[in-house]
Amino acid sequence: MDSVIEVRNLTKRYKDVLALDDVGFDIRKDTIYGFLGRNGAGKTTAMSILTAQNLPSSGQVRVFGEDPYENARVLSRMCFVRESQKYPDDATSRHALASARLFFPRWDQELADDLVEEFQLPLKRTIKKLSRGQLSAVGVIIGLASRAEITFFDEPYLGLDAVARQIFYDRLLTDYAEHPRTVVLSSHLIDEVSNLIERVLVIDGGRIIMDESTEDARALATNVVGDAATVERALHGREVIHRESLGRVASVTFLGRLDAAERDALASAGIDLAPVSLQQLIVRLTQQRTPGRDAFAAAAQEGSLR
Amino acid sequence: MTTLESGSATRPAVLRNRTRNVVRLQFVNTQTFLWVPALVLGGAWVLTMLIYWILQNAGVTGVKTGGGSQAPLWYFLVVGIQAMTMTFPFSQAMSLTRREFYVGSLAAAAVSGLGMSLVFVLLGLVERATEGYGMNGYFAYLDWLWEGGPLAAGLTYFVLTMLFFIVGFWSATIYKRYGTAVLTTVLIGIGLALVGVVALVTWQQAWPAVGQWVLDTGSLGLTLWAIAVCVLLAAGSYLTLRRMPA
Repeated sequence: MDSVIEVRNLTKRYKDVLALDDVGFDIRKDTIYGFLGRNGAGKTTAMSILTAQNLPSSGQVRVFGEDPYENARVLSRMCFVRESQKYPDDATSRHALASARLFFPRWDQELADDLVEEFQLPLKRTIKKLSRGQLSAVGVIIGLASRAEITFFDEPYLGLDAVARQIFYDRLLTDYAEHPRTVVLSSHLIDEVSNLIERVLVIDGGRIIMDESTEDARALATNVVGDAATVERALHGREVIHRESLGRVASVTFLGRLDAAERDALASAGIDLAPVSLQQLIVRLTQQRTPGRDAFAAAAQEGSLR
Repeated sequence: MTTLESGSATRPAVLRNRTRNVVRLQFVNTQTFLWVPALVLGGAWVLTMLIYWILQNAGVTGVKTGGGSQAPLWYFLVVGIQAMTMTFPFSQAMSLTRREFYVGSLAAAAVSGLGMSLVFVLLGLVERATEGYGMNGYFAYLDWLWEGGPLAAGLTYFVLTMLFFIVGFWSATIYKRYGTAVLTTVLIGIGLALVGVVALVTWQQAWPAVGQWVLDTGSLGLTLWAIAVCVLLAAGSYLTLRRMPA
């Protein structure tokens, strides 16, 4: 497989925090990645180091086969607008987009103009006076219109309403179909992006705990719905990661797959198989690995990571 | 292949002109680089003129000089600080290397500084031609600065703007990278070193020699020394920025 990014033994240590702990992974060419994990898991740190905006404590990063640090050849093919991106004080949205046009060789002005209209971004207002959603829109427009060969989106939706988020997802997919490129999308809204991403990279406590195709990730677990007692009996001994019930009906997610015989048996017992929520799967997997954070775990169990 | 098609849309000029485009990026802050320095220079000039006029009317007909023309120089400390703090994080989002950002920022300061120096020299020429606006009052045409001619005076003014810019830029880099405590410590350290030099000169009773050296070197000679200091500071500033996280 064609890798555009190769990371080996990457470690980043801040004064008293180990943000990345001996991490290794590859990012494939022309693929949309979901880069998922909790706050403070190391997502932004990792993306900063990949784009040479930050420096590793140790380990190796190769982008297009080269070290990205102070490497204009490599950097000009990447785009990373942070979630907390700072802009020059006097800059308006128009300035920011005009600057991006100066530096990104594949910048598409038409696409940028289109997006400005769709996000209803006020061009003449200084960026420091924009709302949180408009600020996010600036970053999203730069990320999409730069059409960089590797584009990082760091929680790009903060402050965007549901309509604007859908515009972002739709435009990303449309443009990706016409101009394939590598997209790394960090997000907490896992279910919202799960139809978008082709591969999942999950980071937790500075370590990569999952690097799978979205399909394979989903197949790690199975969800069944049916009469509570029947379900309990059928799943005896399985590792249940999520359980919901309403009256006598239970919906249970467990790790592992069912073979054809087991499926038939369940079907004849009146139990339905339902698709697994990627969010549930990842929430449960990250909870299992962070036993010291029970208070958080209880809250996250409600299915909301927002 | 679609990949190749989108590849062919690449504009190679964008890759060649990255450092030059940093100048344009910096000038997004027209206020920082153009209007405020112009305002400081214009304001200092107006204030100086008013004072000369009052003095002239009070019957003070001798040569009048003031330090007002150095006001914009001090402002270049601020320009340096803002060029760093406001634009560096955005330059990183524009996928620039720190070197491209640094060289481009110096070039932006040079453009602004050259403009200031040009105005300064023009004012000086006017003052020379009109004998201090007809009231023997000088804002830009200061004898010791102009002893090497207008070009030398302009060069001195330009080098000083760059010196102030670099000091501001480096201070801001140290502050952003290491925090207030380290910046303060560095400034105190520099203060101590300067006091040390003063002490040394005093103990050696070398002040007359130092004074003589300054006179002998002249403003142009001192300017050349200032260029050397600029180069040293610029190198130090770059080394601090080189491993700076965004």
